[in-house]
This record gives sequence, structure tokens and C-alpha cells, in this order.
Amino acid sequence: MQIDWPEVVRTVFSEKGAFVLALGILVLGAVMGYAVWRSTRRLLTEAGVDQAVEGTPFERTARGLGTSTIGLVANLAALFVYVGAVILALNVSQLFDTVVFWQRVTAFLPNLFVAIFALIVGLIAGDKARLVVSERLRSVKVPEVGLLPELVKYSIFYLAALVALGQLGVATEALLILLAAYSFGLVFLIGLAFKQLLAAAAAGLYLVLTQPYSIGDEVEIDDRRGIVQEVGMLVTHVESDGEEYVIPNQRVFDSGIVRVRE
Amino acid sequence: MSELADLLEDVVADADAVFLFSPSGSYYERFAEFDDSDVVVVATENDVDADAFVELPLEFTDLSGRVRFGIEGALGQGIVDEDAEVVCVADVFGGSPDTVVRVNTDEFSPSGVYDLFVDSRAEPAVIRDVLEVAVELGKKGQKGKPVGALFVVGDAGKVMNKSRPLSYNPFEKSHVHVGDPIVNVMLKEFSRLDGAFVISDAGKIVSAYRYLEPSAEGVDIPKGLGARHMAAGAITRDTNAVAIVLSESDGLVRAFKAGEIVLELDPEEY
Repeated sequence: MQIDWPEVVRTVFSEKGAFVLALGILVLGAVMGYAVWRSTRRLLTEAGVDQAVEGTPFERTARGLGTSTIGLVANLAALFVYVGAVILALNVSQLFDTVVFWQRVTAFLPNLFVAIFALIVGLIAGDKARLVVSERLRSVKVPEVGLLPELVKYSIFYLAALVALGQLGVATEALLILLAAYSFGLVFLIGLAFKQLLAAAAAGLYLVLTQPYSIGDEVEIDDRRGIVQEVGMLVTHVESDGEEYVIPNQRVFDSGIVRVRE
Repeated sequence: MSELADLLEDVVADADAVFLFSPSGSYYERFAEFDDSDVVVVATENDVDADAFVELPLEFTDLSGRVRFGIEGALGQGIVDEDAEVVCVADVFGGSPDTVVRVNTDEFSPSGVYDLFVDSRAEPAVIRDVLEVAVELGKKGQKGKPVGALFVVGDAGKVMNKSRPLSYNPFEKSHVHVGDPIVNVMLKEFSRLDGAFVISDAGKIVSAYRYLEPSAEGVDIPKGLGARHMAAGAITRDTNAVAIVLSESDGLVRAFKAGEIVLELDPEEY
């Protein structure tokens, strides 16, 4: 059951009273908006968001426009409160008799707010992720590796845009299908490419935990006999007479281990 | 002042290569435009993206150690010839370049310090970490008392076969690597144990409490050094390992390779 608030207000107060109430709501909205703005700023600064977004292109653009990421988010929150107050006031005073229109706008506003917020978070997270990934790959001196951070960045941008568009109710089925294909391809390819490494790591985990042989033991693995020089997660180094065999750990499992004891 | 400038000109005349020790970016830019001589950067990290670069494994405080490492590195990489006039620009007191040294690579007998890091079985970072542990141990000692320690790095399988345990191995079934912060404390605590530490090529601590029994034939180390140094010299001659020794009596850290001392550091200077 929907209560017709303007009607309730009108019966409780007089016509003039409703107008005064609307004005009151406007003032209250202004004060609350300011409070929200202040507390959002405080909260984000305390959480160290300003340091986290430092140096990202979005922050730089925001600075160029004379504000900052925190300022933008705080303004957005305050704006949301202001607009809400204005709509409430208009509804109460019934200066316009377009209830249906305003109801739709009111329903749409939170979505718009979330969409903008998702976009901001996505832009910053994408740039941050690109920075982190490229920092990690800094020691890898292969030019093609520069593609990976960009890929991560645009993947996150794409997700953020998808969330934002979904909030606004735009048809995103095609984009979703694209995302599904993309992530499936990624998982499938990575699984295919890293199959051997995963098997070696699983075997390596067992070797590392139980240590059936340790450095200095003489062993025979896969017809290769020698002294164990190193046991790692992925490979075992076995050396004999100047030849060092680097044996993937899953081979150790496949063929079994012969420990040589004189 | 012109005499002073002339004097400096004599020092830098006909240089085949210029070695810059830990230069700042703008300083390197000024030299990079030179055409007539090679510019080699010697630093702990290649911040300036120089083409010719020698990585210093540790911050040598004394100039001769740094110059020695830089030149041996450049020789090893083939950046400079055996017979080249090299001018080194370095800083001795504080941040900015204040010293110019001229060295002829021909008159220079390599000590093998570059070899120790780059051409050993163990990874350079592992050797550096072990050296750092030894230096720190030398500085602080164990509960204020001077201690000695012997680390055998690399070729661990062979070293294990040429040694025997003195007691239970505290690192049995453990997976600690040198360079982890907690390990330095552990090594410090275990340094009161007798015997040697054995560390693998990748930096895993394989064992403590090892009694090394290599054949000590033909090991020639300076007289007056004790059994610990003799053992270090002998094990590095017998295997492809390197050994890093902290002397209990004189507090110096020495590195051995192939039975010879290649590096001598005073922990107090670092």
C-alpha cells in the first residue's frame, strides 16, 4: 500500500504549513549535504585513499580541474543528498503536479549515483593495477611484457563500464557475452599453458613437505643418477660428473625415486 | 687555478673509458654525450639505464674496493680491453662526485672479486646476502662477544658428501633461505654452534653443524689464520663452492674461492 505523503502532510498541516515544511526540508538537506561532504572527506582521508590514488591519471585529471578524487566523491555524495532534499521539498509543497515523473527520477537517482561511483573506482583501480603489475614485471626485460599491464588496465575499465551501464539499465547483454568469452579464453589458455607447471608445483609441494630425499643424497630419477643439488617447487637439480640434470617435479612422481645407499 | 686544471687534465688525458660510480641521472646525461670514450656506470642499481653497466653487489665503502670491482666487472664483460686507460669518477665523502682516479687495466692484477659474485655456482644475490649476514655478525657479535662463522655457499650436494654432521641438523626439513629477515636472527643464534653452515645454490640453508672434511692438500692460505680458514680454503678447492668466513680473532670477513682468498672486508667499515 502506497501512502500519499503530500496528501498526509496537507491534512496534518495547512497549505501554508506544507510550504514552510518544504522550506525546512530544503534547509535541512543543505545542512545534511554539507555534513555528508565533510564526513566523506574525513573518512576517505583517514582511510588513506588520497595516498592510494596518488599519481594515477584520474587523480591528475581531477587535480587539473582544481579538485581531487576525494573531493569528487565527496561532492557526488553531497550532490546526491541535495538533489534528494530538493525532490522531497518539491513533492511536499507540490509546486509541480508531476508525481509520476518525479517518482521515476527518484528511483533512477541512486542508480546514477552508483554508476558514476563505479566508473570512478574502476578508472582508479585500473590504473593502480597497471602500475602494480608493471612494477612486478620490471625485472623481466622482455619488451612484449609491456602489453600485460595495459591488458589488466583495460580489463578493469571494461568491467567498470559494464557495471555502470548495468546500473543505468542500458542493454549490456552483448558486452556481457564478450566478457564471458574473454574470461573463458583467459582461463582456458592459462590452464592450458600452465598445466605442466601446475603439475610440477603440486608434486613439488609434496617433495618440499615430506622431503623423501634432501640435498646431498644420491638418487636415481628417470634413469638419471646423481647427487641432489637443489629441491625447488618446480624442479629438482641432480648432478653427476659435471652434468646437471634439471628434472621437472612431476617426472619425479611419474618415474619414482631410487635412493642409492651404499 | 689554471695549474690545477692542467693537473686534472693530465690525469684524464687519453682516457679510453670513463667509469661513473653511482652517478645521478643528470650527471650521467652529461657524460653520455661523449663520443671519444666509453662510459661505464658502476652502481648497485642501473637507475640511469646505461648500456655499459657493472652491478655492485654491495656498497663498498673504500674506494679501491669499488674501483677494483668495477674494473674487474668491465673486463669480465668485455666492455674495456686488457690494456686501457680508465678514469674513474666517484664519491668518497658524501653524495656528489669528488674523486677522480686513473687506472691502467694492464697494471692491475685481478683479485677475482667480480668472479666471486658472477661466475660462482651460487646466485650473486645469495652470495651477497651471506656476506651481509657475516658482516652484520662481525659487527655485533653474539651477545656482544666476537664470534666466528663459516658459510659454504653453492655446490651443496657435493659439500654435504664431503662433510659429516657434528650433531642434529637444526635446519632439517626446514625451508628457509638466506635473505629472509628472520633467517639473519636464526643464523646469528646458531653461530654459537661449532662447524659450518651449508647453503645451496639458490640460497636454501641446507645444514648447520657440519664438520668439513675435504682434502687440504695444496691449500695455501696466509700463515696465522686458523682452522676455520683452512677448512674454508680446502672445501672451496675441493668443490665448486665458495666460502665466507668471519674470523673470531681479528673480526674480518673473508671470501674464498678455489682455495684462495678473493675478498677481505672489515665489518666495522660497513
